[in-house]
Amino acid sequence: MQGGILLPRLDRAGLIFGAVALGLAILIPILNLIVPTDSAFHVPPHVVALMGKYLCYALLALSVDLVWGYCGILSLGHGAFFALGGYAMGMYLMRQIGPRGMYGHPTLPDFMVFLNWQELPWYWLGFDQFWFAAIMVLLAPGLLAGLLGWLAFRSRVTGVYLSIITQAMTFALLLAFFRNDMGFGGNNGLTDFKDILGAPLQADGTRSALFAASAIALAFGFILCRWIVRSKLGRVLVAIRDAESRTRFLGYRVEQYKLLVFVTSACMAGVAGALYVPQVGIINPGEFSPANSIEAVIWVAVGGRGTLIGSVIGAVLVNFGKTLLTNALPEIWLFALGGLFIAVTLFLPRGIVGLWTGYWAKRREKQAASIATQPVTEGS
Amino acid sequence: MMLTKPDPQHTQLYLDGVSVSFDGFRALNNLSLIIMPGEMRAIIGPNGAGKTTMMDVITGKTKPDRGTILFDGDTNLTEMDEAGIATLGIGRKFQKPTVFESHTVWDNIDLALAGRRGPFATLFHRDGADDDRILAILETIRLSGRRDVLAGALSHGQKQWLEIGMLLAQEPKLLLVDEPVAGMTDAETAETARLLREIAQTRSVVVVEHDMTFVRDLDVKVTVLHEGSVLSDGSLDHVSADPRVIEVYLGR
Amino acid sequence: MRILLLLLSLLVTPLVWAQATGPLIDALGADDFAAREQALTALTETDDPAIVPALKALENGQLYRRLSDDKVVIGQEQGESITLTDPLTGEALGTQAAGDLERIRVNNRLRRAIDASLGALTLRSPDAAVRQSAADAVFVSRDAATLPLLETALAAETDARVKRSLEQARAAILLADATLGTDDKLSAIAIIADKGGQAALALLSPLTSSTEPAVAKAATEAVRLIENKLAWAAAAQNVIYGLSLGSVLLLAAIGLAVTFGVMGVINMAHGEMVMLGAYTTFVVQEIIRAHAPGLFDWSLLIALPLAFVVAGGIGILIERGVIRFLYGRPLETLLATWGLSLVLQQAVRSIFGPTNMEVGNPAWMAGAFQVGEVTITYGRMWIFLFGLMVFAALMLLLRRTPLGLQMRAVTQNRSMARAMGIRTARVDALTFGLGSGIAGLAGVALSQIDNVSPNLGQGYIIDSFMIVIFGGVGNLWGTLVGALSLGIVNKLLEPLAGAVLGKILVLVGIILFIQARPRGLFALKGRAIEH
Ligand SMILES: Nc1ncnc2c1ncn2[C@@H]1O[C@H](COP(=O)(O)OP(=O)(O)O)[C@@H](O)[C@H]1O
Ligand SMILES: [Mg+2]
Repeated sequence: MQGGILLPRLDRAGLIFGAVALGLAILIPILNLIVPTDSAFHVPPHVVALMGKYLCYALLALSVDLVWGYCGILSLGHGAFFALGGYAMGMYLMRQIGPRGMYGHPTLPDFMVFLNWQELPWYWLGFDQFWFAAIMVLLAPGLLAGLLGWLAFRSRVTGVYLSIITQAMTFALLLAFFRNDMGFGGNNGLTDFKDILGAPLQADGTRSALFAASAIALAFGFILCRWIVRSKLGRVLVAIRDAESRTRFLGYRVEQYKLLVFVTSACMAGVAGALYVPQVGIINPGEFSPANSIEAVIWVAVGGRGTLIGSVIGAVLVNFGKTLLTNALPEIWLFALGGLFIAVTLFLPRGIVGLWTGYWAKRREKQAASIATQPVTEGS
Repeated sequence: MMLTKPDPQHTQLYLDGVSVSFDGFRALNNLSLIIMPGEMRAIIGPNGAGKTTMMDVITGKTKPDRGTILFDGDTNLTEMDEAGIATLGIGRKFQKPTVFESHTVWDNIDLALAGRRGPFATLFHRDGADDDRILAILETIRLSGRRDVLAGALSHGQKQWLEIGMLLAQEPKLLLVDEPVAGMTDAETAETARLLREIAQTRSVVVVEHDMTFVRDLDVKVTVLHEGSVLSDGSLDHVSADPRVIEVYLGR
Repeated sequence: MRILLLLLSLLVTPLVWAQATGPLIDALGADDFAAREQALTALTETDDPAIVPALKALENGQLYRRLSDDKVVIGQEQGESITLTDPLTGEALGTQAAGDLERIRVNNRLRRAIDASLGALTLRSPDAAVRQSAADAVFVSRDAATLPLLETALAAETDARVKRSLEQARAAILLADATLGTDDKLSAIAIIADKGGQAALALLSPLTSSTEPAVAKAATEAVRLIENKLAWAAAAQNVIYGLSLGSVLLLAAIGLAVTFGVMGVINMAHGEMVMLGAYTTFVVQEIIRAHAPGLFDWSLLIALPLAFVVAGGIGILIERGVIRFLYGRPLETLLATWGLSLVLQQAVRSIFGPTNMEVGNPAWMAGAFQVGEVTITYGRMWIFLFGLMVFAALMLLLRRTPLGLQMRAVTQNRSMARAMGIRTARVDALTFGLGSGIAGLAGVALSQIDNVSPNLGQGYIIDSFMIVIFGGVGNLWGTLVGALSLGIVNKLLEPLAGAVLGKILVLVGIILFIQARPRGLFALKGRAIEH
């Protein structure tokens, strides 16, 4: 039944993006696994892992763009949803270690043995099953977003107030996950993973498969977002972003709309985190740090908010720059990042994609035909 | 004070003893007002008389401290939120034209169209189903030629019309219009008066306006608001002759 | 008991001392503990206050026997050698190698005897404060041997406070005596219950299981009373800690109350203004250390205006260079100022390094004083007072000066203010500079209690925003009440939930609170705040 609605909306942008991502999902593993190591086209495993990481960031950025670019909700807490998804996956990977841990306990992860715990806390039950962990990857961030959103949108907390509340939320979680007795490994987090779905994590084949999974997840996320923003619901979201109270007087329950996208977006961020953790091999409370969330926002701003594709471009570009800079000139990175924040807001309010479309719009001198996604700044 | 309270039954809008104060300042003071179905009413009054606040109270933006507000004679509006009141069939046009500037004219009307308002309804909404209705409304508000233009690019008068078009699309039973001709040219003003009269044929309309020529053009019963309550009402000629109204308008 | 007898005899012995004391002290150098104890007894019998330094030295392991002539001396270890002084006269006796001296050792029994004899000597001091502390010492040691001494002292005591303490000490000693009659025990319990505190609690709690029902009942009742009092004292102490934390939060938030509350600018680099103030203090102290060490106690007072100028100046630069282009776009302001905070942090890290800087406390910030059961450090007290002073000064500035008037005019109605000839751009810059300067002042205070590192500001930014929102944006009183009450709530939660969990609870509490009252504790109503 949905196909009838879904297919007509599979627009060109969605199709192209899906095709490119799918192509990458096939191409990169081939270049890594089949092309011989001495060939110029061989992609070494660490590059595969790195690119997989970028794609996870891109998915996170996409989720931020959905709420910020289209609904005007500047969340400074999306890193928390990302981290929750990551922890859910990390718990599964932890349980997979089984008796191979340092202390050789049959079920308890090392850090629990170290803390002298006798049995698994109830909230760790079920995480030995992949399907259960996969549900939790969506449920944990979704529930948190649902609770916070329900409270905040209902009482019409908007603008910077909402931003600061989401930031406080991730900060509170940061403090909480640092505590040993929370049962998530405290300071050190979850690490020393061995395998996923029976496949050893360090193997090249697994890495390639994870990369492909990330690319497919990103494509799926992109198409989902396109589908949402091109539906009438998407137009209501933009209406809310630009004139919230007018939308209310038209009879739309703004809080329901916000809640729906906020939760959807949080689940996307959770998936991104879940794919990220097996590829980097660790998840610790640092992922909850407010700085991470706000960095994701700047990826979106750099690429161009309210364009979807911009967030993907921004995430990949900024992180590529980060990899280069932190290797070459580590002291410079924070200057560069800080400068980026300032420069983008002052000189590039519509991001790279905005610059691009603006250029073409001018070229064609067709004032009206540009996309309906130019963000209008909101007061608070 | 009236001796017998009028019967709310069969009224479209019924306000009785409504008061609102902001930090001790009484913006509405024991305001009572009745609009009958199909009636068009003009409300005038000096700046700060409480006209906009009255609309805020009816549409749920501001909660009254005291008083009754009934719609269709039986629905208590004071307990509902903006969206609920809007879906009941009360449309509102703001003093400052507010359209969705980054949507096209077409989409603005589309968003306003009466229909199901839930997020899932809109998510699975089929485009193209309502084209006829939208085209008809665009015709009425004379914007057919600009259907794909971003609303932000319209002139001031066109925005006002677009907003009126959005109200039509909502198919309200009661329309509240706040200063619709502020900043319009004379030709646009006359055109707007015609538009409103046309709309009023099928529903109740309350128009707030300063512009006396416009009110005269409308040719309907007039209520004068002053310091948050009704000072006088009747035909325009009747209220213009009321010494209290003259005092309020000229005495300062 | 032998000591007791000796002490008793001491009390009746006519006071003939001084000339015999020197050889008696030398006897302390005897080979075995028993002989030393005898010597101590003899010494105590002299009742000569001059022996107090020797006894104290003995207790601290600083009394030595000189091997060459068996003379007992007080020695101060200085590396390999030991500086000697005469135990009676305090006259310097030069230094000697450690090998030429033998430390006179004490065992526990001897130590108690020393305490008792010191107590006896000081109980008769002409100085009431000395007698008071002697009485308190006896209360703690509960040496039955001191009892007769205590009785005499009690009989002679004229100072009411000291007398009470002596009675309490006596009661404490009596209680330890199992043969005491029930009535005496009851009155002793009453006296001790009256004293209260942990020590009294320790004395009384064993008695709650006494076989005499009357005693057990009285003791239980007394314990309950004391515990009650202690709980209140603990709560009071926590409130004091809370006020102290609250004043720190107030200092951090108050500048934000100006930039965010009054101007509506979201300055995420606010914490870095605080950090700059702390580094200014560091630099001032470094310069003073290098060039004018005598001025060290003045370092904070010198740093205050400098920190205000540094942070305020940088604030003005930020406003002119970045923020003014973003008025009316709060989300963009948030992002840009976050970027600024990264740049400022990294700049400081590049200049001063990533480690904590050593910022010292002037003498007047060190130490503590006691109010009843509650301890207050001078540092915390000054910071609390400073926070209130800054708040009051800001209030005066906004309410009573032309600049304050202009600031309020501009923030309430920009175009109107401009039409009236106010230079709004200048007022904006100055207001922002003021808020930043206040943050700099906060940095001077925080340098005294927190680690001065490039991350200093990060620790305060979220709290500060929460406080300003909690108190009600645009309402300075709200910020004051918000900061102090959050500080107190935090500290009251801490003993129940632990520090981290307490903080989490407070954060969650504020988040929930903002849902319930989006405009904060002291909300302004009206159109002005809507857009
Ligand atoms: N939200 C509000 N907060 C404070 N005062 C308000 C608010 N809304 C209206 N007022 C005051 O109530 C009075 C009536 O305002 P309004 O209804 O806008 O008048 P009118 O539309 O008749 O010119 C004015 O003095 C206005 O300042
Ligand atoms: Mg009005």
